[in-house]
Amino acid sequence: MMDKMTHILSLINLVLCNRGKVEIEAVNEGSHLRNDCDLDSLDLAELTVRIEAEYEVDIFDDGFVVTVGDILNKLN
Amino acid sequence: MDKTFFKDVAAKLEVSYEKFFIDLSTTKSYSAICRSDSFYFVFKQIILSLIHGKEVILLDSDLSDEEVSKLLGKNHLEDYPIGDIEEIEIIEFSDIQKYINVNKETWRITLFTSGTTGLPKKISHTFNSITRSVKTGNARVNDIWGFAYNPTHMAGLQVFFQAFLNHNTIIRLFGLGRSMITEQINDCSITNLSATPTFYRMLLPVDHICSSVRGMTTGGEKFDSKTLNILQSMFPNAKIRNVYASTEAGSLFSSVGDLFTLSSDFANLIRIDNNEIFLHKSLLGESAGIKLINDWYATGDLIEIYSQDPFTFKFTSRKNEMINTGGYKVNPQEVEESIRSFHGVKDVYVFGKKNSLLGNVVCCEIVKSDIFMDEKEIRDFLKDKLQEYKIPRFIKFVEKLSVTRTGKLSRRVN
Repeated sequence: MMDKMTHILSLINLVLCNRGKVEIEAVNEGSHLRNDCDLDSLDLAELTVRIEAEYEVDIFDDGFVVTVGDILNKLN
Repeated sequence: MDKTFFKDVAAKLEVSYEKFFIDLSTTKSYSAICRSDSFYFVFKQIILSLIHGKEVILLDSDLSDEEVSKLLGKNHLEDYPIGDIEEIEIIEFSDIQKYINVNKETWRITLFTSGTTGLPKKISHTFNSITRSVKTGNARVNDIWGFAYNPTHMAGLQVFFQAFLNHNTIIRLFGLGRSMITEQINDCSITNLSATPTFYRMLLPVDHICSSVRGMTTGGEKFDSKTLNILQSMFPNAKIRNVYASTEAGSLFSSVGDLFTLSSDFANLIRIDNNEIFLHKSLLGESAGIKLINDWYATGDLIEIYSQDPFTFKFTSRKNEMINTGGYKVNPQEVEESIRSFHGVKDVYVFGKKNSLLGNVVCCEIVKSDIFMDEKEIRDFLKDKLQEYKIPRFIKFVEKLSVTRTGKLSRRVN
């Protein structure tokens, strides 16, 4: 099974691709969702829905998600 | 130094009132249709229309040509041609006010709002109805407004008039990135902000304190008290108010926290029936699309009453099926109609899924025939038909649509 980081990357790329944006090659814990991954508020909301559909966790429930590492913390 | 009228860091533009007056005085042509992604252009067209007593029709810049043709008719470019306008001279602010006083009875501004059925409906406002909630006075002369709405929407217009009629400076924030927004608030010493809860949520977590802001309003979706407390720490000197407004009527009443009190000015113009708010027709803009029942308009907004004197209440939910996503209202039927026109779609169901960032995210289920289709293909197809915020962000292909036990489609999944 894909590790969580790779899975998050694939979900981010799915969101970017759906929006006609350039996909990214890699992420790390420090990758900034808005600045490094080019996600705007609509994209972040879509990412939230996709993560919730698979992990049943609302990553933005307290509004404190800025990096990929923040998402991983929420999922753990 | 001359006072700044409008600053737009994304467009690399800063226009002083003096320059704005020159621009108004030297513009020679005008068209009623205003569809531009330049905030400055939209503001200029509105003021030009007031000065020359002409109608102005505001369209979102991201509307597709197909959508515009549906809204204004196929021949709209011929129906609303670009024409010459008289030469005028604006030297100071009071010159504009003189023109406004002459034209305000006949002037109309038209915008579109998502209707509850089918196409967006057209709403025309008079000067009085669009500026009803504007407060002017010496205490407001030095306000600096952060502009956090689309300028072609009702909320944006209300902020614009509040700022402009007080001769204030307007700073564009809508559409900027998070760090740029806080930078603009602090660099420009913004004193007043009006925005959707989604806009405020995007500013969190708190990186910078914004102490210049004294007044903040929000409206639309519900705001939870936890987020409100965090916001208060980011804007320690701000009084945060909640405003109830609609495109049909503009701002009507405000609250501190989530309890609204009805002011005596509106006592005879607002009626509650079965916990639903009804507005008297005198509060509304003009529209053939607004259905009245004996002079009253059913808003579809449901409330819970807390006390009768003064009349205090809390919003609970909406009666109709509009999806509120980041402060924009999406009519699921309109989206379903567009998706149905995609070859191979047998059935479709559009609904809002609760989301902590946007309030709701537009999602849909599709029953397809045997041919291949994927999410991206459908979204690309919808790009030419619908505005971005109306396009479902999560599409699921299913064998059968979700239905409630009564057999009716349920929009409130989750």
